[in-house]
Order: sequence, then C-alpha cells, then structure tokens
Amino acid sequence: MTTATTSTKTATFVRPSFLRRLLDANGLWRVTINFGILLAFISLGILAPVLPLQNPVKPNPMNTLQPPSAEHWFGTDRDGMDIFSRTIHAIRTDFTLALSSVLIGIALGVPLGAISGYYGGLLDNVITRITEVFQGFPQILFGMAFIAAAGNTLTNVVLIVAFYNIPVYSKMVRSVVVPLRDVEFVQAARVAGNPSLIIVFRHIIPNALVPVFAQLPLSCAYAVQMIAGLSFIGLGVEIPKPEWGSMIQVGANYMVFGKWWLSVFPGLALFYSVWVLNNISDILKSLWSKRV
Amino acid sequence: MLETLREWGFFLGKRLAILLISLVLMSIITFSVTHFIGNPVYLLVGPRHTQQMLDNMIRDLGLDQPLWQQYLNYAGNLLQGDLGVSRYSYNPVMRDIRSRLPATLELSTFALLLGVLWAVPAGILAGSRPRSRFARIVDVIAQAGVSMPSFWLGLLLIYVFFAKLSWLPAPLGRIDRQYRTIAQVTGWYTIDTLWAGNWNAFVSSVKHLILPALTLAITTSPSTLRIARSKTEEIMQSDYIRSARAFGLSNSTVRRYAFKNMLAPVVTMIAMTYGYLLSGTVLVEIIFTWPGLGLYAVDAMNHSDYEPVMGVVLLSAGFYLSIYLLADIITALIDPRARVTK
Repeated sequence: MTTATTSTKTATFVRPSFLRRLLDANGLWRVTINFGILLAFISLGILAPVLPLQNPVKPNPMNTLQPPSAEHWFGTDRDGMDIFSRTIHAIRTDFTLALSSVLIGIALGVPLGAISGYYGGLLDNVITRITEVFQGFPQILFGMAFIAAAGNTLTNVVLIVAFYNIPVYSKMVRSVVVPLRDVEFVQAARVAGNPSLIIVFRHIIPNALVPVFAQLPLSCAYAVQMIAGLSFIGLGVEIPKPEWGSMIQVGANYMVFGKWWLSVFPGLALFYSVWVLNNISDILKSLWSKRV
Repeated sequence: MLETLREWGFFLGKRLAILLISLVLMSIITFSVTHFIGNPVYLLVGPRHTQQMLDNMIRDLGLDQPLWQQYLNYAGNLLQGDLGVSRYSYNPVMRDIRSRLPATLELSTFALLLGVLWAVPAGILAGSRPRSRFARIVDVIAQAGVSMPSFWLGLLLIYVFFAKLSWLPAPLGRIDRQYRTIAQVTGWYTIDTLWAGNWNAFVSSVKHLILPALTLAITTSPSTLRIARSKTEEIMQSDYIRSARAFGLSNSTVRRYAFKNMLAPVVTMIAMTYGYLLSGTVLVEIIFTWPGLGLYAVDAMNHSDYEPVMGVVLLSAGFYLSIYLLADIITALIDPRARVTK
C-alpha cells in the first residue's frame, strides 16, 4: 500500500511486513487467539452444510425441550430442533447479513465522506448535518418503524443496518480527507490537470483505506448485534431459519422455568463472535494509530 | 465580561440553529418514511375495499394535497405535540407516550447512574496506571460489556437471580401487584413509594428495577469507561502535567488539574449514553415486561399500529438531539476552549 507518509523514507529503511507490525503492537497471543477464533467461526459457518450435523430445521415433536446430552450437545428447543446444529448454521445467516450490510454502508459512506471532505463548503455542511441527524435516530426503534413501513423482509433488515453504517464511514473518511486536501501530492495531481473526481478516487480515498479496514470488524460486530436484536423482536429472519437472535427469543420464555440451554448457547455464540470482532478491530487500529 | 457574553451568544446561537435544522431534517426523514415507503391507506381500508372507499380515505387523510402541503400539515401537527392517534388503543399517541415515559426514564436514569458510578472511577484509575494489572482487567470487562447482547444478559440475570436463587421477583413489570395502586406523583415508583412512606412498596420497586438497570448499566457503561481511561492516560502524559510535576506540585493538585481536563469529553459521552438509553431500553423492556416506551412501540408494531412507533422514534431522536445540545453547553461551561466558534 503506497501512502504519503511512508514513501519518503531513506533507501536503507525496509518497512516491516504487515504481520510483523501487527505482532509488534499487539503481542503474538492476542493476535493468534482472536484471529484463530474468528477463522474457526468463519470456517464452521462455511462448512456447516457438509459437517456431520443434524438437520437444523427438522422439528421432532417427540423430543422437545431436552437438556444437553450426548446426542444433542446443546439440547433441543421448543420444536425439538437440535440447538447445536442451529447455532452453527446461524453463523451463516448472521455473518452474511452483517457483512453485506456493512459492505453496502462502506460503498455509500466512503465516497460520500471523501466528496464532502474534498469539496468542503456548503455541500460538506449539508452532508455532515444529515449524517449527524441519522446517527441520532434510535437504531432498533427506527429499524422497527422502517421495517413496519417497508415490509418485513431480509433485504429491508440489511438496508436499515447499512443505513446506520453510512455515517460511520463518511465521518471517518472525511476526517482523513480534510487534512489531505492541500498536501503536495494532491496539489501535484491537481496541477497536472486531473479532474477532481479522479483525484478523490485515485489519490485521496486509498489513504483512508487503513482506518476503513480497521473499522470493518467493529461495524460487523455492531451489525451482528443489531440484526440479532431485530430478529429478537421478530423482524427480518423467520423462525425456522437458524439465527441467534430469534433462537434466544424462542428460549426467552423458558428461561424463567430454568430451561437455560435454549437461549444460553446461541447467546454465547453471538457474544463470542461480537467480542472477537471488537478485539480484532482494536488490533487493526494499532496499525493506524502508530502512524498518526 | 462583554467579550465572554458575546462569545456565549455566538455559541448558543449556533448550537440552537443546529438543533433547529436537525429537528427539521428529522421530521423530513420520518415524513418520507411514512409517506413514500409505507402506505397506511391500504391498512386502513382493509383488504376488501372499493375504489370509492379508497378515494374517500385518501381525501380524509389529505393525501391528495401537494407534497409540500402534506409536509407542512405534518410538521404543524408535530409542533402542536400531535403525534397522531393509536389505531389500537384509540388514544392520542402523545397521551399514551406521556403515561409510559416515566417508566423508561426511571429505568434509564438508574442504569446511567449505576454505570457512571463504576465506569468513571475505574476509567480514571486504569488511565493513570495504564500498564497495571488492574487496567488490563478493566479493559477485558469493558470489552466484554460492549460485546454482550443486552437482551441475552438480561435473560441470564433472570435465570440466576429469579429462576435459580429466587432472590428477586419475576420479570413482570415495575412493582408487585398489590402496590400498583400507590399514588402517582412523579410516575417513578422508587420516588412515589417513598413519598407515600410505604417502605415495603419501595423495596418491591427497587427489586424490580435492579436487574433491568444492571443489564443496561453493564452494556452501556463501557463507552464512558473507555473515554475516561484514554483521556486520563493522554492527559497524564501531556506537557502541562509534566510541568506541574516538575514544579513540585503535590500529587493531589496534579490530579485535580488532570481531572478538570478529562471531564468535558466524559460528560459528552455520559450525555450520549443517556440519549441512547432512552430508546436503547427497548430490548431490555421486552425481557422484563417493563411498561415503558420501548414495549409500547413493540406492542404497537405487533398490532400493525404505525403511528405510536413513529411517535416514539421522533420523541427519542428529539430527546437525543436536545441532550446532545445540553452536553455541548456543559462542555462549554467546563472548558472555555469549546466556546470559541470558528
């Protein structure tokens, strides 16, 4: 990655590799454990259909609400579906929804922030103000209102989560772009006769990519939490489809009667995945903060 | 003196203008969602309707008027505090909201207090000794707290303290049934029961409040903690603290200097947390059947009753923006640098 700050070093300086810098700033253990768990989650999710798991959506009326056993590691739920298998399959649902909503948010937020930061003035003011108002909207509640109006579909859930990611990225990119506006290499590009949009997309946005990538896992963590929260109140994911939030919801009523396994296991998976994503975002941010 | 007054005038003027613009933008967004995305007409006329019924309903709702006229009607109603009528309870949404607001306010205020009480001291301590074991433990707790889904944590607490230990009452509402007749003065049961001098009722209300408040405190306090921690760390390494130490000022004096500078960002974060809490209680309210705004909105949504949901959204967004303004003013009171408008 070519950036403004590193290309001016003397010839004898060899920039340490990406991995080296990551390990130096965070220690071997922290990096290995967090990336290891994330990798485990992702590969379990990808391999779920070929792993020897029980059918995650097959009800069994003869075998409902069974506590964890050798046959059903995490027990069975209200309809007799195997909770272990459902928890694993839910990785697919949650991670896919979260990642796609975050990617949409990036695709819209990054150019928006770059343009508002580069042009400044009235346009910048308007965009900044609108994004601030968006952020003031209560997430779960506005999500509810939007989905109630637009229809209870997965697409709408992804859209509403993406909508909350736009201001995050536009703000961040804007803060990177503003100080770069008058830096020499940008001026050089301008003097050479490049149109503004080329300058923004080819010369300025690449500088914002490191913080954007450091933010990505954090946004995914929020997105997973929000998607689970929305499906907990019955929005988006329909019940037989394995998803952590709706699984917790099914188990919620049994918690007071001491049947803990329905909610605890999907909740643990949700908690761990969000935690690991948060940690990884912190680890990646160390790359960024060292340079500023 | 005059200079300070002018400074304050500019500052407050700008802030208020921003608030006003934000409120207008907010109403445009909610207006767009209600008018472009959803179409309440079909819900109102039901599935078996004639074209005549549809036309009448459109005229009754004023949907045949030009768009700007519709928006002005909408904004005018909002200004008069008219959020529409609930199609389920047949009450004006504003009245329903007013009767449920104290429950949410009580819960979020206690959650905020619980969170701040531990997060600020812990953050300062961890920040002044950033390499210590204590700081590391605090980091882990904070990270775990943010990652915890609030509705799941609430369920775990219910399982432990109600289902297993039976120390606390069932997660059904704000107070035991027999005390529900207590005179409503503020709408806050913890205060009203004390006002009535009914100690048992007070204990009952606290027992009902403690788990939802704790749940929210654990999940929302880490952001305050992190700000307090990183600001303290940053300030303790700054030049003026080093100078103060070099002058031989006592530790307590140095700490006082540092504290004053750390306060402004921490206050902002606490205010933002409070703004978030008012709507962020929704999932926890469901778990504990806490009859507040969130539960009201969810119930309304389940009855395809649209106006209450939008009313609660508008109210919490407005509350968030106002609290943000308040935080800016407090910051300006604490830190003169924040008053200078560019």
